[in-house]
Amino acid sequence: MTDSVYVPLLDLACGAFLLTGVLVLWRRDLAAIVRLFAVQGADLGALVIVLGLHKGSAELMIAGVAVGGLRAGLLPCLMRRALMAGGEGRETKPLVNVAGSLLVAAVLAMVAYAVSQPLVRLTPTPATQAVPVALTVLLVGFFVLVTRRRALSQVVGFLLMDNAITATAFLTTSGVPMVVELGVSLDILLAVLVLQVLTTRMRAAFGGTDLDELRELRD
Amino acid sequence: MTGLIGAVSQVVLVAVGSPLLAGLMRQVRARLEGRAGAGVAQPWRDLRKLARKEPITPHGTGWVFRLAPLVLAGTVLVVAAVVPLVTTLSPMDGVADLFAVTALLALGSVALALGGLDTGTAFGGMGASREVTVMALVEPTILLSVFALSVRVGSTNLGAIVTSAVHDPLEVISPVSLLAAVALAVVTIAETGRIPVDNPSTHLELTMIHEAMILEYSGPDLALIEWASAMRLSVLLGLLASLFAPWGIATAGAGLAAVVLGMAALVIKVAALGVLLAAGEVFMAKLRLFRIPELLAGSFMLALLAVAASFFLA
Amino acid sequence: MTLLMIAPILLHVLAACGYAALGWRPATAWLGAVASAGTLCAAIALAVATTDHPRTAIGGLLRADALSAFMLIVIGVVALLAMLASPGYLAAEVAAGHTGERAARRYGILTQAFVAAMALAVLAASLGVLWVAVEATTILTAFLVGHRRTRQAVEAAWKYVVICSVGIALALLGIVLTNYAAVHARVPSAGVLDWAVLAGHAADLDPGVMRIAVALLVLGFGTKAGLAPMHAWLPDAHGQAPAPVSALMSGVLLSVAFYAVLRVKVIADIALGAGFARTLLVIAALASLAVSAALLLAQRDYKRMLAYSSIEHMGLVALGAAIGTRLAMAAVLLHVLGHGLGKSVLFLASGHIHQAYGSSKIAAVGGLTVRAPVLAGAFGLGLLALLGLPPFSLFASELGIVRAGFSAGLGWAVAAALVLVLLIGASMLSGWRSMLLGTPSPEGAAPLPAVVTNAAGGAAPPGQATPSPGGTSPRLTWTAAVPLVAGLLACAVLGVTTGPLRPLLEAAATMAGATP
Repeated sequence: MTDSVYVPLLDLACGAFLLTGVLVLWRRDLAAIVRLFAVQGADLGALVIVLGLHKGSAELMIAGVAVGGLRAGLLPCLMRRALMAGGEGRETKPLVNVAGSLLVAAVLAMVAYAVSQPLVRLTPTPATQAVPVALTVLLVGFFVLVTRRRALSQVVGFLLMDNAITATAFLTTSGVPMVVELGVSLDILLAVLVLQVLTTRMRAAFGGTDLDELRELRD
Repeated sequence: MTGLIGAVSQVVLVAVGSPLLAGLMRQVRARLEGRAGAGVAQPWRDLRKLARKEPITPHGTGWVFRLAPLVLAGTVLVVAAVVPLVTTLSPMDGVADLFAVTALLALGSVALALGGLDTGTAFGGMGASREVTVMALVEPTILLSVFALSVRVGSTNLGAIVTSAVHDPLEVISPVSLLAAVALAVVTIAETGRIPVDNPSTHLELTMIHEAMILEYSGPDLALIEWASAMRLSVLLGLLASLFAPWGIATAGAGLAAVVLGMAALVIKVAALGVLLAAGEVFMAKLRLFRIPELLAGSFMLALLAVAASFFLA
Repeated sequence: MTLLMIAPILLHVLAACGYAALGWRPATAWLGAVASAGTLCAAIALAVATTDHPRTAIGGLLRADALSAFMLIVIGVVALLAMLASPGYLAAEVAAGHTGERAARRYGILTQAFVAAMALAVLAASLGVLWVAVEATTILTAFLVGHRRTRQAVEAAWKYVVICSVGIALALLGIVLTNYAAVHARVPSAGVLDWAVLAGHAADLDPGVMRIAVALLVLGFGTKAGLAPMHAWLPDAHGQAPAPVSALMSGVLLSVAFYAVLRVKVIADIALGAGFARTLLVIAALASLAVSAALLLAQRDYKRMLAYSSIEHMGLVALGAAIGTRLAMAAVLLHVLGHGLGKSVLFLASGHIHQAYGSSKIAAVGGLTVRAPVLAGAFGLGLLALLGLPPFSLFASELGIVRAGFSAGLGWAVAAALVLVLLIGASMLSGWRSMLLGTPSPEGAAPLPAVVTNAAGGAAPPGQATPSPGGTSPRLTWTAAVPLVAGLLACAVLGVTTGPLRPLLEAAATMAGATP
């Protein structure tokens, strides 16, 4: 693949990755948030496949398909099941309102850009230049996790962070060693399963998944 | 010479075609809703009817009220002349600066808001205050998103930006351009008062914006405002098309044939966008008024991300 | 050799399979203890084999050196104590109706898998596998924390999984960046995340990238080690988990996470100079001590009191690691072992107290000395050990850290830490006094007899220790008393002499990057 096609495609995948991450902040509808997360997973898969095409590495392309399959297929499916069981469709009262959190996201993008300068400077290729995008999504995911009050939104925040880390891994070095990659994917999958079971228990114990209800333990 | 012809044809096309665009959009909506519709030329017939009526100004209004429609129409015509819609070779190219165009559009909005305030009625004031609220979020977004596009060109001249996009079509799918496109599309909808921000087809809703401001206008003044609003819509849609789908625009060294081609391309592109917008409106409800800042903050943030991305991925 | 290194993981996996197949019954209840004893033996054998040079197994996936062997000993010892106490604890829970048969089976499977994951973490040769194992411990213990399914348990489990997963995700980003720096420094791709290879090439790693990576790794693994500022999960999780699990989590899991920090520090010290990791660790250490001092002042819950004390001790360990001299490192490792012993004894004892009084509030427990002298003695002595009084080993290790700190020019940090430790000691003593002495509170005593008698009866294997006479005292059966007494004894003996452990401690301190 020539550079003139590779760079725009790579940038396109990164842009879509960033956009879906930020739009999660914008939607209140939990089903829409899960959909956005699925789209982001597909973007991530596409990003890895583009990298694989550029390097001519079949291994990387298979990894891209696997990453896309896990994050655009399996995880959203799990979350949708949790959503179906609950019947709570909306994020009611985020700690920071939607307009405010969108502006915070803009600030986070600047922070990510500043922080990632040493990373870009080490090898200024088109792929590493997109690392700030991944770090922005990481910070946005952390922000979702901190400010949203529904169990499912928190899970999505955690998974956004994880997507961002995976994107960083592929953008910087075309991925970490295979054993680690497999282990990480398995851990993430299990973590989501555990959180799903805990959501069910939470619903049984508290009658809802509003995390503001979690105030029994406090000093 | 080509440039002059291009610029004149651009203005004429916008002036004549805008009401037809409005008519087309209404017709599409009508058909999708299962009605027969009044025909594409109906806005022109409305304008003719209004223009023949006796001009009436409400008691107690001053020159601001009478001047506002003229300023609105005047600014839109100037923008139509300078913005690269058919050609990038307008003789007024020096004015086709991002900041100048934004300021001209804002001037028209402010004039209309003042006209609404001048009537001293509750509706006029409400409409004006809402319009200004929306404007306060829309204008920075336009500035930022076009600025994001201008970073790679190194100039804030719209002609230069469009020329560079014509020469390098792959740039259109870059994330910068996509983010800016989404942001600009949202603010275009807000700026021209379409669903989901405002409902153009009624003045019976309490949350209306545009219609509340012009409630007291009648006769030729109203005709002027309606005409100017239609032109605003087509100019903004045309700008959107030029920035993100610049195919067919006559650039340096093009002949008369290119100008004709450019006009045809503009008509097709704007008509397509109009149909898309109208079709979208059928399936959407108006947002509650307090959700509008959320939408606009979203588009502002996209524009900011576009600027950030133009530096990130440079 | 390979077998010796796989054994600690394999034994617990087999035990977990055993529980999965057979369930939790009187015959299988001791399976975990047997596996733990096996781990301890394998760890000691490994320690002997690795004093001179590290060994690898399974194609370089596992590596054992003195530091891993030492950590494995800590895991083995604490797991043995916890597993010896588990049958009695679960029997009492079943008798009180808190636990069903399925929950008991799940407890068996998860605790064994949990110990196996910790063993894998300390034996992994690669930072990546280490990460996977540490995250696996979070997932495996989630349901153990939420064992009781009450509102508090669910809340604690949720916070635990979310905060720890997020923290550990930051560590993953740190690993990704380390990988990036290593690939750029042309580290051979076979061992790109292998910490021994990394340490060898550390001087070539880009400092700009490594600075971000090390900060993320310390923050991330520090979360799991209970260091401030991401400590919020710890008191909830340790307070809600079943007592043997709390003992495991507090006694070893925190140290295993800190082991990762030690490995990172070795690389960071070469790549960035000693100052960077030291600054991070001193900040984390003092913040942890301050947090635990502030929250212990008015603590009304004895299990949470122990949890905050864990934050305090991890703070001290981090301070010792920041000092980084040979004496400090040896003291840190001894402290890890001593804290593992002392804290597991205390958590096990607090489990018995909780079962006897039905509450974890300090106010509900009174006059323990009169009603259960052995239990009260174990609890009291354990507290004295935790406060760092002689003859327990925590005294020796704290003294070592303080001395090393003053001679390494970190006197101000050590002085601040000492003030905070004194404050913590005072607040813990006041809580302890009202639990052990004082008058038994009537509301705590009312539901007591039935529970305790059942508990003791269920715990004792047939034909052995009899249920406590008199009915009102939560006396210990000997099976329950053995782990408590053994733990305390070991802690005291270590305080007097480290004996055969001394060469291992020194070798491990060298592996942990001690500067002479």
